[in-house]
Amino acid sequence: MSGVQTEQISDVELLHAIASGDEGALARLYDQYRVILFGLLVRILSSREEAEDVLQEVFLQVWRRAADFDETRGKPFTWLVTLTRSRAIDRLRQLGARQRLATSAAQDQTEEASDALKETFRSEQREIVKGALAGLPKEQRYALHLAYFEGLTQSEIAAKLDAPLGTVKTRMRAAMTKLRTVLGNQLETLG
Amino acid sequence: MTHEEYKELMSIGALAALESAEARSLAAHLESCPECRSEMGVWENAAALLAFDASPLAPSSQVRERILSAVRAEKGQTIAKQTSPAVVDDRKQMQRLGNSTVVPFERPPKTVWTTIRSYYAVAASVGLVALAISLFVIWQQNRAARAELARVTSEKSEAQQQLAHEREVLALITSPGTRMTELAGTNVAPDAHAMIAYDKTGRAMLMAKGLPAAPAGKAYQLWFIMGNKPMPGRVLTPDTQGNGSLQDQVPAEAMNGAVFAITLEPASGVQSPTGAIYLSSGA
Repeated sequence: MSGVQTEQISDVELLHAIASGDEGALARLYDQYRVILFGLLVRILSSREEAEDVLQEVFLQVWRRAADFDETRGKPFTWLVTLTRSRAIDRLRQLGARQRLATSAAQDQTEEASDALKETFRSEQREIVKGALAGLPKEQRYALHLAYFEGLTQSEIAAKLDAPLGTVKTRMRAAMTKLRTVLGNQLETLG
Repeated sequence: MTHEEYKELMSIGALAALESAEARSLAAHLESCPECRSEMGVWENAAALLAFDASPLAPSSQVRERILSAVRAEKGQTIAKQTSPAVVDDRKQMQRLGNSTVVPFERPPKTVWTTIRSYYAVAASVGLVALAISLFVIWQQNRAARAELARVTSEKSEAQQQLAHEREVLALITSPGTRMTELAGTNVAPDAHAMIAYDKTGRAMLMAKGLPAAPAGKAYQLWFIMGNKPMPGRVLTPDTQGNGSLQDQVPAEAMNGAVFAITLEPASGVQSPTGAIYLSSGA
């Protein structure tokens, strides 16, 4: 647990260093999170090219906005993921729905990280999250997927599923509540 | 909106899936409510963990180089802005220096050579601007080409799916022993009709046309009826023209003499028919 706490402090310190203009700190933060953030971007954008473009934008934004990070309001990991997702969904909307259709081919072409990278990646957390998601009813999992990886709002999800908005809201809240409960311990270990 | 109602919004807000008005309202509330802000942080942490559901992937090494180059360039510009005498005119400089005894350097007198050098500087600047414009145009053309490629890829993918579907239909209907049965529209859908083809193994494909649009939360479900016993099949949602198809497996006990029917049911399907019959192979 102490190792994890050290990592948390390290991320916060890295962001403070970045805010003071330390590009080495930015490089370290990039090396630490590039694999998970790039994986998330490819999952959302279904294109390595677009994902690399957005990853670059994200870290330039980190460079410019590190001073805005407030550790009393959130964890560095959450801040980074939120920034990344937000940029990715903006890009997805710019590209339009058409791009989403071309995704399966692109996904087939993406390569997983090498074994060495996977070792350094937090595979344990990944397995726990995947397990928690697998434990959700299919319709709740799908609603979460549409929101998180396709960037749809609750109304857009209701329209896509041809389901009442109230039902969709209930599914999403239930899914998030279960995830929060199951992942409770993981929330403490976030960097 | 009450405090409790804002709490209801938080889990969906953490997914950024609220409508913009609700999202703005929640954001305004969070600014004034420390308790909700703390609660929202927990929801956001939970949402961030969903990133682990994506497969880890390594970006190319050039991305790191591009980021660091851009950062160094920005840093350089900032330093240049802070230190360049060109951006600080003499008057401001004097104000900044106040009563200091430090005297700013005088500008060297203008000569023919400095004038020529100035012309060269202007020409170089014009050249740089032209280069920047050219690069911007190329970049835009590249983006447009990529968008077009995505569109073509999308159309190709759709065409391939359509072709694969048609091949499957063809393989089924030309397979020896395949039986084909027509389903006629009932009085609730007189313009609808369908065809079901199924081979000796029970592999079946149904193609329907002219079905009315299904109301929200509803879809059409296939039934295999032997005597008075209806056995549930899959559901289909027709497109805007009322056309739809589905693949299914005819139950072994329905392989000989079953009546096929389509009813309107809840979209998730049901075990026993509850809605009106729209299509039927029965006389």
